Amino acid sequence: MLTIVRFLWASFAIWTAYALHPSEAGVVDWHKALLGVPLTRPDFHRTTGAHGATRSVVLTATSNNVIGAVHPENGTVAWRYLFEDRDPVVGYKAYNDRLATLSGPGGATFRILDVNSGHLLHELHLHSADSGRLFEPVNLGVAIAFDDSDKSKDTFVLTNGHTLRRINGKSGDIVWGWTSPDQTSLVVYSKVVTTSDAIYLIGLAKSFASYTVHVSAISPDNGELLSDADVPSSIINGPQGLIVVSHEGTRGKSVRLAWLEQARIHSVALTPQLKDKPTIKKGSAYLQVHDIGLQEKGLFVATKEDGSGRVIRFSEDGALKVFWEFADSVKSPKYTESTYAGGLDKDGWPYIARVYWSHVFRQASAHVLAPHLAEGKGLVTGFTFPFETQKHGIIANVAVDAANPEEFRVLSRLVLTTTTGAVQLWQQDQHQWTREESLADIRVAEMVELPEPQLVASQVGIEETESFGARLRRQLADAQDFPQYAINFAKRFATGSYASASSSIAPASNDTSPLSRDTFGFRKIIVAATSHGKVFGIDSANGEIIWSRVFGLGWAAEVGGRIFPLKIFTTRTVSDGDTPQVVIVGQRKADNSLVDTVAFHIDALTGEDVSGTSIGQDILQGQDVIAGALVEAYLFQDGPTKYVVLLDEYLQVHLFPDTPENADSFHKVAPSIHLPLRTGTAGSHRLGGHKVSPEKEFTGRHIAYPIWTASLPPNEDVRSIVTRPHEPVASLGKVLGNRTTLYKYLNPGVVVVLTSTSTPSGPATSCGVYVIDGTKGTILYHANLPAAGGVCDVKAAFTENWLVYHYYDDGSANADQAKSYRMVSLEFYEGSGVDDKTSSSDLSAYSNDTTRISVYEQSYVFPRGISTITTTSTKFGITVKDILVAGNNHQVQSFPRRFLDPRRPNRKPTAEEQEEWLIQYDPLLPDDPKRVLSHRYQVARIRKIITSPALLESTSLVFGYGVDLFFTRVAPSKTFDVLNENFNKAQLVLTVAGLALAIVITKPMVRRKRLRERWYAS
Amino acid sequence: MSTTTLEPSKWKHLPPPPGFAQTPVATKTSGKVSSSSSAASYAALKEKRAWDFAISPAKSLPMQAFMLYMSGGGVQIFSMGIVFMLLSSPFKNLAAINSAFAPFAPTPSSHDKTASQVDPKAFTTLPLQKIVYIICNLLTLALGLWKCRSMGLLPTGTGDWLAFETRGSPPEIVLL
Repeated sequence: MLTIVRFLWASFAIWTAYALHPSEAGVVDWHKALLGVPLTRPDFHRTTGAHGATRSVVLTATSNNVIGAVHPENGTVAWRYLFEDRDPVVGYKAYNDRLATLSGPGGATFRILDVNSGHLLHELHLHSADSGRLFEPVNLGVAIAFDDSDKSKDTFVLTNGHTLRRINGKSGDIVWGWTSPDQTSLVVYSKVVTTSDAIYLIGLAKSFASYTVHVSAISPDNGELLSDADVPSSIINGPQGLIVVSHEGTRGKSVRLAWLEQARIHSVALTPQLKDKPTIKKGSAYLQVHDIGLQEKGLFVATKEDGSGRVIRFSEDGALKVFWEFADSVKSPKYTESTYAGGLDKDGWPYIARVYWSHVFRQASAHVLAPHLAEGKGLVTGFTFPFETQKHGIIANVAVDAANPEEFRVLSRLVLTTTTGAVQLWQQDQHQWTREESLADIRVAEMVELPEPQLVASQVGIEETESFGARLRRQLADAQDFPQYAINFAKRFATGSYASASSSIAPASNDTSPLSRDTFGFRKIIVAATSHGKVFGIDSANGEIIWSRVFGLGWAAEVGGRIFPLKIFTTRTVSDGDTPQVVIVGQRKADNSLVDTVAFHIDALTGEDVSGTSIGQDILQGQDVIAGALVEAYLFQDGPTKYVVLLDEYLQVHLFPDTPENADSFHKVAPSIHLPLRTGTAGSHRLGGHKVSPEKEFTGRHIAYPIWTASLPPNEDVRSIVTRPHEPVASLGKVLGNRTTLYKYLNPGVVVVLTSTSTPSGPATSCGVYVIDGTKGTILYHANLPAAGGVCDVKAAFTENWLVYHYYDDGSANADQAKSYRMVSLEFYEGSGVDDKTSSSDLSAYSNDTTRISVYEQSYVFPRGISTITTTSTKFGITVKDILVAGNNHQVQSFPRRFLDPRRPNRKPTAEEQEEWLIQYDPLLPDDPKRVLSHRYQVARIRKIITSPALLESTSLVFGYGVDLFFTRVAPSKTFDVLNENFNKAQLVLTVAGLALAIVITKPMVRRKRLRERWYAS
Repeated sequence: MSTTTLEPSKWKHLPPPPGFAQTPVATKTSGKVSSSSSAASYAALKEKRAWDFAISPAKSLPMQAFMLYMSGGGVQIFSMGIVFMLLSSPFKNLAAINSAFAPFAPTPSSHDKTASQVDPKAFTTLPLQKIVYIICNLLTLALGLWKCRSMGLLPTGTGDWLAFETRGSPPEIVLL
């Protein structure tokens, strides 16, 4: 008996030896590496290789705290460097083959990266993060300059607004450092300019109502202060208006500082003695000066008061002169304001591009000025390109790169960044590639099932009316595909080439058939809404974007604003008999500080507006549901109808779509609705239970009123509420080895509440995990966790009766305790033990039995910190649920339930426990590299993982999003519902055929024999 | 016939073969007495045979128990075959109980008017033996059931009925 159990045991162990097969990598999963939405203008950077060949990359620093490089030829990521969250990028600069970055408060950390490979060459901590001065904006007070006077590759780094260091390019050591003698002074430096004679630090000193320019000249050799001077000036709008133009002349590099003061360009020459007096450029009045990245070529752009742009050049004789004025750049209702950008070609000649959008032609235009052409008079090449403003919003930034293959011919490449987070490259008027970088900032996403392929396009429902002839014709037409079908059937039968659970489901690239699901339902459409005002429909088969729509701002379009998606609901699925629909609920924050709640009702297959208010593929218009902020939104299902229930700040109930049927339906169930809500202000959120008034109030709406408040200590802040996903529960209990049952505690109102306790205005002292009955506020379970570093970072996943939470234990509670990440697994069962059932899933919330539960709990040491945790989900809930986590090692990994079972015994398991496949408790959770779902991908900073069932019960679809997108499918109990791919179908067919043949042969023989027996037997 | 009369030599003391009387006269004369005595012994024999048959299932019990022990506790074709046999044979036996005991029914005497009405296949014939036979078969059944239980095939625990449990919807609706 025991040996048999052991054998079963061993076979089970083999059976669960689960891993992604190498042949499935990249087939069942996909990964989209993203950088994030560029914060500033991207830069073309060109390096010259050993043999004179040049390579260029597009460098960008993004809102996801990533610095990355993109190949301009195809738009793929060349490399990226992920900065930690507490180490924000404050500045970067590329020079030749290296890229210097400054990150952290005040530029605490200095790094040198290789510009082509992204490899980290040097890293230097200049000051501690605590002593960093925080400026607004963050790039104030930090600057990087390269020593271009010789080949030393040394870097000059300005940090904290008052410290300059020279860093050796080879060793990465500090050569010298200079700190402003009086740090308490109001001078904050923000620019560094190098010449062979002196390093100039340019800053602003605060004076009455304006700033004064302050310049310090420092010796490049030993870091001594050469001179120090206040330049008489009065600057109002900060250091953005400071422009340092330099010119490499015959007498060495001459540098001039220019700024805008009282609509005139003032400038002063910088010499080591700082003796020069500012001069005022006479002539036109200017509104703005633009740094276009060509300061070292002595060029910048200034816009006049009428809007026209002028290129100003620092000429040989040391004066600033207007070199060019762009034609038709005067402010006009026919086109938008122009964006200016500068770039260099292979030989280092500068080019200046002006890009604007024409309202008349509905196209974007670019004018590229080559100042050195046409014998130094300047040559402008213009072209228009079909920028799709409905799809990508407005052009935010432009970078230009140009080539001059022959006289009077300029070819240019433009990199555009748009307000919706797209990065595009245009070669003249040819679109080369688009990167949708806003996908690095997905707020809500949902996987939506696709309809079945329409195999037979027969007309359903007209059989009664059509004539005999018409029917015959139709059926003949339908039957013309029959030979092909028969051939396919025979082929399928003979070769056994059925749909495989581990094959790719991506459609062929030339596939034009409408969107439909595959055999096993692995292909879904991921509807993802970003905070950059765009919603995408992504094919889960390969990650291609099928459709995308830009959110309209409604009335706020005139003042500007942003839409932050908060919730997404699938209000109609394929099983409801029509195309699936989703509702995205978002908050619109207009620039005039008004907040509204808007809902967008979208067809999930095409992205079309269901409500019909948007025209065609124009901007997607939403409906203002609440004139104010949203408290909570729910999907409510009443029979076949689904609608969204929204609560505003006054707890009034709004419905979307607000039809009379939905209102009736809600009115009927309103008296029995209970809502646990997190309310209150930041730092003192409370959890309260609410009911909905059975009748409409005088405002014409139902109102939720409080009935209880969770009895938590007053200094405990409710951080978040974790609810169970809406998915079926296959089994109501857990059958033990002796065939008794532990009934699962499935009270539908149970929520998990994560809290943090803090002293007033101090860091958190402890964190809490509560399991609370959301209908009446009873606390069913409570655990106090340490707040490591004063931060509560508890992550929890809750499904059925199983709760798993993860936290960091810093060992402060007990001196003997080790510091480690912990994962706690809990299960809730009805009653006091086995066979004690209280029927918790349909019990009234007011019954005393709802609190009669038993809790099984075990704590494990977890290998690493995580950013999100979730469980797999399957169609019927029969398959075992695994835990999926995105770790801080940029991987997505699954942890099997077997190891997290809270009933693992603390001794050797008995035979009965072995029958339950329980294994002995071990505090350390095995970190199995075979269970890393993302295998060799670096899946950067996954913020959330969503899971969705496939048609196959065994398989769950997994989509993780953060900086990167990652999709795969997992089968926690292996694909038990499809035939193994190694199954020998040919053998089976041959065996059956052989047996049939044997029957055919032997049947007459047996019949003859029987007959003879009858005749001759007796 | 002629041979028997021709050779009355040294073999004449041998008993005649069964069914052959020495003389037709002798049989006729002693017919009544000997037939009544042999009928009594025959009835006794029949009853003994009926008893043997009644307890025969119990006799095979030790052997079946040994087979069960040898077949092991796993759910395999061999053990399942034995268990199936153990479970089905009592029912088969009991279904055929009347016809099985019919040969052992007491032969009705020609002069016994009441006995002539006794149907050998009636349940009331040989009641004691039949009761014992039923008990012995129940023992076999019990052995089979015990085996089933030890293999975990009897739905005795709540876990076996869990799949049939249903739950309705709760009276309160909680929006989460």
